[in-house]
Amino acid sequence: MKWWQIRRRDTELERELRSDLDMEEEEQRERGVPEEEARYAAVRAFGNHTLIREQTHEAWGWAVWERMWQDARYALRQMAGSKRFSAVCILTLALGIGAEVTIYSVIHAVLIDPYPYRGAMRMVHIHLYDKDPAPYDLALDSTQFTQFAKSPVLDGAIAEDVYTMALTGSELPQQLQVGRLSPNAFDYFGLPAFLGREFGRSDGEHVAVVSYHFWKSHFTGRPDAIGRSLQLDGQQFEVIGVLPQRFAWTGSDVYVPLPDSRDPRRPANVYARTRAGFTDAQAEQSLTPLLNTFARETPANFPQQFKVHLVHINEVAIGRFRGFLVVLFVSVTALLALACVNVAILLLARGEVRKAGIAMRKALGASTARILHGLLAEAALLSFIAGGLGILFAFAGIRLVHLLIQPLPTVFPPESSIALNVPVLLFSVGVASSTGLLCGVWPALRLARVDLRQAVQGSARNVAGQWSARNIHMALLAIQVALTILLLAGCGATARKLQQLLNANLGYRPQNLASVNLVLTEGAHNTWADRTQFYEQIRAAIARDPKVISAAIGHLPPLILDSTPVSAPGSNLNSGNVIAQQVSPEYFSTLGIRMLQGRLWSSGETAHAVRLAIINDSMRRRYWPHTDAIGQTLVLNHGVANGNVWRLVAPGDDQHFQIIGVVADTPNRGLDETAYPAVYIPYSMMPFDGFDVAIRTRSNPAGLLHAIQLDVHRIEAGQAVGDLVTANDLLNGDILGRERFAARLFTAFALLGLGFAICGLYSVQSYLVAQRKRELGVRIALGARRKHIIGTVTRFSMIAASIGSGMGIAASIALSRIFAHWTSGNVRDPWVLLAVVGVLLGAAVVASVAPALAATSIDPVHALRAE
Amino acid sequence: MTKTAQQRTNLLQGTLDMLILRTLLYGAAHGHQIGKHIQRTTNDFLQMQHGSLYPALHRLEKRGWIHSKWETAPDRNREFKYYRLTEKGRKQLTVEESHWKQMADAVARVMWPAAEES
Repeated sequence: MKWWQIRRRDTELERELRSDLDMEEEEQRERGVPEEEARYAAVRAFGNHTLIREQTHEAWGWAVWERMWQDARYALRQMAGSKRFSAVCILTLALGIGAEVTIYSVIHAVLIDPYPYRGAMRMVHIHLYDKDPAPYDLALDSTQFTQFAKSPVLDGAIAEDVYTMALTGSELPQQLQVGRLSPNAFDYFGLPAFLGREFGRSDGEHVAVVSYHFWKSHFTGRPDAIGRSLQLDGQQFEVIGVLPQRFAWTGSDVYVPLPDSRDPRRPANVYARTRAGFTDAQAEQSLTPLLNTFARETPANFPQQFKVHLVHINEVAIGRFRGFLVVLFVSVTALLALACVNVAILLLARGEVRKAGIAMRKALGASTARILHGLLAEAALLSFIAGGLGILFAFAGIRLVHLLIQPLPTVFPPESSIALNVPVLLFSVGVASSTGLLCGVWPALRLARVDLRQAVQGSARNVAGQWSARNIHMALLAIQVALTILLLAGCGATARKLQQLLNANLGYRPQNLASVNLVLTEGAHNTWADRTQFYEQIRAAIARDPKVISAAIGHLPPLILDSTPVSAPGSNLNSGNVIAQQVSPEYFSTLGIRMLQGRLWSSGETAHAVRLAIINDSMRRRYWPHTDAIGQTLVLNHGVANGNVWRLVAPGDDQHFQIIGVVADTPNRGLDETAYPAVYIPYSMMPFDGFDVAIRTRSNPAGLLHAIQLDVHRIEAGQAVGDLVTANDLLNGDILGRERFAARLFTAFALLGLGFAICGLYSVQSYLVAQRKRELGVRIALGARRKHIIGTVTRFSMIAASIGSGMGIAASIALSRIFAHWTSGNVRDPWVLLAVVGVLLGAAVVASVAPALAATSIDPVHALRAE
Repeated sequence: MTKTAQQRTNLLQGTLDMLILRTLLYGAAHGHQIGKHIQRTTNDFLQMQHGSLYPALHRLEKRGWIHSKWETAPDRNREFKYYRLTEKGRKQLTVEESHWKQMADAVARVMWPAAEES
C-alpha cells in the first residue's frame, strides 16, 4: 500500500464501516428495539468509530507518518487560532536563535576555523623569552633555517622578512608592504592561487604574487594583471599570480621570494607548523638544544639565556579577545535560555486555558501519548518556524557584525570570514531543535496529564490560580530576571569600561594630529650623518606646509612599544625596564605633551646626538620619588653599540644619558594600562631605516597626504610616503575598537534580554488577571480598593523580580572573577549593579501597568456572568 | 468496556487471524458477518471488538491471505465489502491450525498431566 492511496483507502474503509453499522442497526431493529433507539444501540454495540478507523490505519503501515501529518496540521490550526500568542513565541525564539547563531558564526570564524591554511591550528610563532616580558621572534639565517626546518617535531617551516618597499615607476612612489617568503612557503600554506600560480623553488628572484586586495586596488581586479611587471625599489618583478581573498599572512600587499641569505647580519623571521601528535611542550623541548647551538653561532640574533615558547598564530591574533568571545557566547546562550524560559512561560500560561479542551479530547478516547505528540508537534512547529526566522535574523546579525568591525580591521584575523556557512547552519538547526525541546516538553508533559475531572473542577476553583502552577511561574520568572540581571551587568561593565577609556587622561591632544611613516629604499642613506640629516630635511619640509602647525619625528601614542633594560645608579630602583623612544625636540609641542620640569634639547644638541635624556613622570615617580631627577644619569642597555643593516648608531660608544627634563605621561602600553616608565632620547641616537613624522595641523589632517608626498618627492624622487594615520584613528583602532564592539554587542543582548523579561512579566500577569477575573470581580463588587486590586495582581511578579534580582546579583558577584579574567570590565562594580537593578525593577513596573489597569477596570457584572 | 471483556479480547489477539481465515472457509463474508459468526459460534464468549476486527481484516488483506471486493448482497439491494480466502490464505490456515493444535496440546500437557496418563 502506497501513501498516496491512503485517502482513497480511507473513504473505502469509511464506506465499509458505515455499511456494517447499517447492518447492525437493522439487526437491532429486527430484535425489536424501537426505531429511534436502534441507531444509538448500533453505535454503542459497534464501539468508537474514530478509534476503529485509526487502528485500521495502523494496519496499513503509514500510521506514524499520518499521525505526524495530522499533528502538524493540528498544530498549524492551533497557531493560526491564536496569532498574537504564536507571533510573540516565534519572535522571541527567533531573536534568541538569531543572536546565538550570529555570535556562533563569529566564534566559528575566529576561534574554530580562522585560517584557510593547511594545518593552521598547528602553525606557531616561535618566541624567545629572556627576563624582558616582551618576547623576541626567532630569526635565522638561511643555513640555520634549512637545518631548523628538518626538525622531526615540525611539519614544515617558512622564513619571512616583511619589508616596506616603494612601488616606483609611476609619478609618485607608493609605499607597499612586501613579504619576502622562502620559496617553500606556498607549499607550506597549501592554498592554491586565485589566479595564475604561486612561486616555488624553481622560480627566480624576480617574480611576485600579489594579494587579493592589492590586485583589486592596483590592478582593479583585471585578469590580465598576470604577466605584468611591478617596480619595487627600482627592481622589476613579474606578477605570476593573485592570491585568494582569505590569504592574508602578515597582511602584505605583494609577496616575493626571499633571497638566500647566509649573512648572519640579515636573518629572517621563522614560523613553523608542529607535527601532529607532538604537544607544544614536547616541541619546545626538542627545539631548545638546536636553537642553543644557533645562538652560539650568531649571538647577535638571540637574547642571552632564553626560553623557547611556541605561540599559536590565532593566539597571537586574538590573545585576550578570545576570553571576551567566550564570555559573549555564554551570554548569548543565556539570552537564548531566557527566550526559551519566556516561551515556556507563555506555553504554560496558555496550557491552563487549554486544559478543558485537552481533557475533553482525552474523554473522547485520545490517548495521553497522542495528546503529548500533538503538543510536542506544536512546540516543534514553533521552533521550526522560529529557527527559519532566526537564520534570517542571523543573516542580518552577521551583516551588522561586519558593519561593526569594518572600521577595525585588527579586531579579528584578516583571514577569518564571518559568514552563514554550512557548519554555522548545522549549528543553528541544532539550536533551533533543542530550543523547541527545551521550551516545549515540560509544558506539554504537564498539560498531557490533565484529566476531565481535574479540568472541570479546576474551572470552579479558579480562585487564586493553582498553587503548583504559580510556583512554577514564579521560579521561571525569577530565573528570567536573574539572567537578565547578568546580561545587564555585563553590558553595564563593558559600557563603563568604554566610558573610562574615552575619558582617560591621554596627556596629549589627539585632535588635528596625524602621522605618516617613511621607509628608506634598501641601502639608501647608509651613513649616520647622511641619514639624520635626511630625516631632519623631510621633517622640516613637512613643517613648512601652510596647513601644518608643526611636525616632529616620533611615534604617535598609544602605540605599544618594546621595553629596554635600564640602570639608574643612585636612584630608588637602580635597574629595571623602560620604554625608550627616539624623538625630535618638536615632538612634545607637536603632540601637546606638557613639560613638567627642566628643558628640551636644542636643535644643535639633537643634530650631534648629545647624550641627554627626557623622562616621563611615571619614570620620575618610580626612580626618583624624593630627589630631583634633573641632572641624574641613566644607562640604556639596548645594544646601541651594535648597529646592523637597518640600524645606524651615533658616533661615540656611550650609553650614559643625563636627564635634562621631565614630561607628562602618555599611554605607551595601550590605553587601558597606566603609563610605563619612558625615556625620550634624540632621534639621531640610533636612526632606523624608517621613521614616523607626527604632524599637528590647523584643520582636519585628512587630505594632507598628497601635499606631503609632493614635498618628499621634491627632496628625493624615489622616496615613498606611507598612509596618513590620524591620532583619532589610532585611538579608535585596536583597543577602543574592541571595547566599543564589546559594549555594543552586550548592550544589544541586554536590551533584548530586558525585552524578553518584560514580555515574561507582562504575560504572566495578564494571564493571572484573566484567570482570576471572577474573583477580582467579586472583590471589586464587595468594595475592594483599586490599591488592593493592583497589589494582588502585581505582588506576584514583584516577588519574582526581587528574588530574581537577588539571584542575579549573587551570580554576577560570583562570576565577576571569571568575567574579569576574560574581559577588562568589572561586573561587581556596585554602581553598575545598582543601576542594573534599577532598570530591571523599572521594567517590571512598566510590565505591570497594563495588567493592573485591566484588573481594576474589570466590571463585576460582566465577570460574574462570563462563567 | 468491562474487565472480563478486555481479557477476552487480549486472549483473542493472537488467534483472531486464524478465526477469521477459518470463518471465510465457508465462503465470502463481510466484516459484520464475520464478527457475528465468531460471536455466535462461541455462544457469545468471544465478543468481537470491531476495534480489532477491522485492523485484522486489513492486515490479512495486506499479507495477501484474503482479498476483498464490493458486491451486492444476495438478499439486499446494497453493496457490502466481501472478503474471500485466497489460495495463499488457505495454506496459511492449515499452518496456523497445526500451530494452534501443537500449542493447545503443549498447554494441555502442562496443565493436566494426570489426565494425559490415565
